Amino acid sequence: MSAGPSGLADSGDPDGRLGWVRERVWNSVRIARWEVTKNAGGVDRRTVVIAVGAVLALGVIIPLAMSQGVALDSDIYRIGVAEEDPYYDVVSSDSTFRVQEPSPAAVEAGNQDVLVVGAQVREITDGPKGRAAAAELRSTTNRYNDRLMLAEDNQTAAFPVLVNLTYREQNQTRVIITGEQSSDSGPDADGGGTDGGGSDGGGGGGADSGGDGADGAGGTDGADDADGPTDPSETGGSVSSDSDDGGIGGSGFAARLTGGGVDGTPSDITPPFPFRSLVLAFVFVLPLNFVIQAYGSTILSERINRRGELLLVAPVSRGDIIVGKTLPYFLGAVGVMALIAAALGGSPVSVLAVTPLALLFLSATFLGAMFARSFKELTFVTVTITVSLTSYAFIPAIFTDVTPIALISPLTLVVRDFQGQAIGLGEFAFSVAPPVLTALVMFGLGAGLYREEDMFTQRPIPLKVLDALAGRIKRKRSVALLSAVLLPFVFVAELVVIALLFALGEISILLVLIAVAIIEEIAKSLHIYAGYAHARFDRRLRTALVLGFLSGLGFFVAEKFTQIAQLADLPNLEIGQAALNTGLLPTQFVSTPVLILGLFLAPLALHSVTAALSAIGASRGRWGYVVGLSAAIALHTAYNLTVVMALVG
Amino acid sequence: MSDERSLLRDPRLIVARRDIVSLKREKTIVLALLIQLFVAAFSSFLVVGLTSLYSPGSVAAGEIVVGVSGEHQDALVDAAEDIESVQPVRFDDVGEARQSYRDGQLHALVIAADANGRIGAEVVVPDGGIQTTLVVDRVRDLLEAVERTERIARDSHLTRSTIPLPAEVDASPYFGFTYTILVPLLLFLPPFISGSVAVDALTEEIERETLELLRVAPLSLLDIVDGKALGMILIAPVQAGMWIGLLSLNGIDVANTVPLLVLVTALTTAVVVLGLTLGLLTGRRRQAQLLYSVLVIVGFGVLLFLPEHPATTVAKLAVDSATRLTYLHVGGYAIGAVAAYLLARRLVARADAEAL
Repeated sequence: MSAGPSGLADSGDPDGRLGWVRERVWNSVRIARWEVTKNAGGVDRRTVVIAVGAVLALGVIIPLAMSQGVALDSDIYRIGVAEEDPYYDVVSSDSTFRVQEPSPAAVEAGNQDVLVVGAQVREITDGPKGRAAAAELRSTTNRYNDRLMLAEDNQTAAFPVLVNLTYREQNQTRVIITGEQSSDSGPDADGGGTDGGGSDGGGGGGADSGGDGADGAGGTDGADDADGPTDPSETGGSVSSDSDDGGIGGSGFAARLTGGGVDGTPSDITPPFPFRSLVLAFVFVLPLNFVIQAYGSTILSERINRRGELLLVAPVSRGDIIVGKTLPYFLGAVGVMALIAAALGGSPVSVLAVTPLALLFLSATFLGAMFARSFKELTFVTVTITVSLTSYAFIPAIFTDVTPIALISPLTLVVRDFQGQAIGLGEFAFSVAPPVLTALVMFGLGAGLYREEDMFTQRPIPLKVLDALAGRIKRKRSVALLSAVLLPFVFVAELVVIALLFALGEISILLVLIAVAIIEEIAKSLHIYAGYAHARFDRRLRTALVLGFLSGLGFFVAEKFTQIAQLADLPNLEIGQAALNTGLLPTQFVSTPVLILGLFLAPLALHSVTAALSAIGASRGRWGYVVGLSAAIALHTAYNLTVVMALVG
Repeated sequence: MSDERSLLRDPRLIVARRDIVSLKREKTIVLALLIQLFVAAFSSFLVVGLTSLYSPGSVAAGEIVVGVSGEHQDALVDAAEDIESVQPVRFDDVGEARQSYRDGQLHALVIAADANGRIGAEVVVPDGGIQTTLVVDRVRDLLEAVERTERIARDSHLTRSTIPLPAEVDASPYFGFTYTILVPLLLFLPPFISGSVAVDALTEEIERETLELLRVAPLSLLDIVDGKALGMILIAPVQAGMWIGLLSLNGIDVANTVPLLVLVTALTTAVVVLGLTLGLLTGRRRQAQLLYSVLVIVGFGVLLFLPEHPATTVAKLAVDSATRLTYLHVGGYAIGAVAAYLLARRLVARADAEAL
């Protein structure tokens, strides 16, 4: 009996929602198509042809130039060596050196860095350059000798030592990073592979944060690819057989990008290379720069001469416009990055990992274009975004093999993917969630400015920031919501601070605690100040206290949800603990209910009290806000210090 | 004509000043300085931070304790005598050595067993410390020393003889990186931004239709373009100079400052001319910016065919290894930049200002 009506209601509700969704999608797609085809700021066919032609030309030029042997570091060091000396061949085999007539006078005058007489280095100029030149000469000699030995018939005598490198954690029996060796081919029956590394590998690699790039090694090519010409033909021997089991997916290039050697002769062994992520960062981030440039242009050109007014008055929502205008660029960016990942031999995981980067770039550009007052300003904003986001992606990824903190950058996932390591779901979420959430928040804030008053006027940037925040404040409750929403920003900012500071050692913990207090207090109070500046609240003390409590509550609740950090066992790191655990419940102390209650309420009390301090300040105007905020930061730092002392000490 | 105008009231200077003042008013210059500081901090983090973490000198106290076990442990111990920073500890029992490693008493463990006439060295190093790089580096030195000794011992089986290795020197491993990559990157950033801003300066006037207003004033299109070029060209060497100053504060001495600044100015002129020409030809920021970025990168690629790439020129100048070829290149860029500028002026003079 009731089947009919309820069935109708059921189908009616989703249909309504479906219709809403369909309309949103339809509008967005229409705007996206319009953006691609005939937008006012669009790129005409001639430009596209020239640009594509230029890029194709570049594709021809670079390999051609490379084949002729380009070395950017050619002739950096000047070596004095006579032609009859044994070192002459060594020095002339490396383009880094410039061969000079040996002359002690030139060394004296600083015109010659290293002087070789006979078979020994006679003089080195004072200073870092002379030392660097001598060190380079040493490693070049090493490579030269290895090449010499490669041509020998008796490879056992030529390469009498074979090495097999395994990474293994100390003080623990389980293996964190395993060097899974497929046992060396041919002559050496080395037992190392079957020992700890091989058997423990299966268990440790998947679940843990470890699992290292033994497979991505591509061992042999790292050392001597700079000086191709004199290379003897690479024949047989142990060396080439090693490189066979090294490369993943047969992609030597990717292996060279990501791998450190773990297998082969002593010179094949390479320590974890700190700059390989730089290369990856450039490869992936470079195309993003073109995309955000075009994207920034199109957003800003909406704001010039009131062009965007037509869209604003059209029967579409703000969200539709923004999604529609962003969609083509987002798809384009992801498409390009997928191509790059495929070309380098990465898996779909790499593409998924860099997608948040694309979102982050686009959202930052969107917000920047809403703030900027002119194209010139936009250019600087774009460069700022590029520089800061590139280093956000790059710096942590340096430490991929070293510490789980590296996971805060999605590029770390890419590096690991190229190394053929398994990536856990928790790790993936930990790495990807903050940038995605940050991107969404930035889009949201930018959307707050996507209205006539802000788009077509020339307001200074700080005021626009306040506008963007105040645009989200409707009533007192909004304050709590905004505090929660800003948390991803806080999270990313704190992690970046950790990444920047953690190399400093002991003192970094104190610096991080201070930085965390500053970041969190600003995030909890800036929107309150914005609300006061826009006269959304009355200036009574009671209101300020309520706002402070709401802000603290919102922040506290959101923070509870971010225990995702624990999935990636970041808190195992002392410094991560210091930064993230101050607001969390320290589980070691769960002894009595009273204590639990106190510890559970302590963070909430802290956040509310400090936010209230800032709020009271904010209600008194700009200088009041500065004073209130400073007091809040001081209090927060003191609290953090106490908690950390209790935890560590 | 030029005599009638006093130098300061030259309309081109006025346009240049107007552009620079607008940069200042928009605080974009502040932003640019922030970027500079950021990258400088970044580079100092990289160069000073990483170098001190990785270079042996700064870990002076940290001699690396390497557990040595297996049949060929004598070879390792002998080799370690020549390497100051490695202290070997013998273990006759392999299991004991592993236990000692697990207990954290060793930085690394090398088990040298016999492998069909070779020494098969199983190396175990810790993970989870930034020290790993240092440890692996040292252990590699040790094993290379063993390799050299062994080669000499097996001399009779070899037809060639190796060249003696020069003595080890305590040098920064990032010296080459600093001068061949970091310094060129930092010096090329300002010209690139200048060119990009030049595109903006012109296309913005066109898109906002304020070029008309400028032309109502007694200014020719040539004056306007001249002025905009001047403003943007002047900014880059100033920024580059600041870079060099910041770098030397970081302990990276940059030699040949004047030729470097000449080079930067020449490159800036070239890219600014390119930007303004594109702005004039397309009249739209998006087209012009896209073409500008692509063409600059292509140009950078084309320059690979020169005997010396600009990056190499910068590196050689900065590290004080400049040759006559280097100076010839700098001169060539200067002449090329002036020629490009004159050519672009002729183009502008013929352009139809009304059509924009």
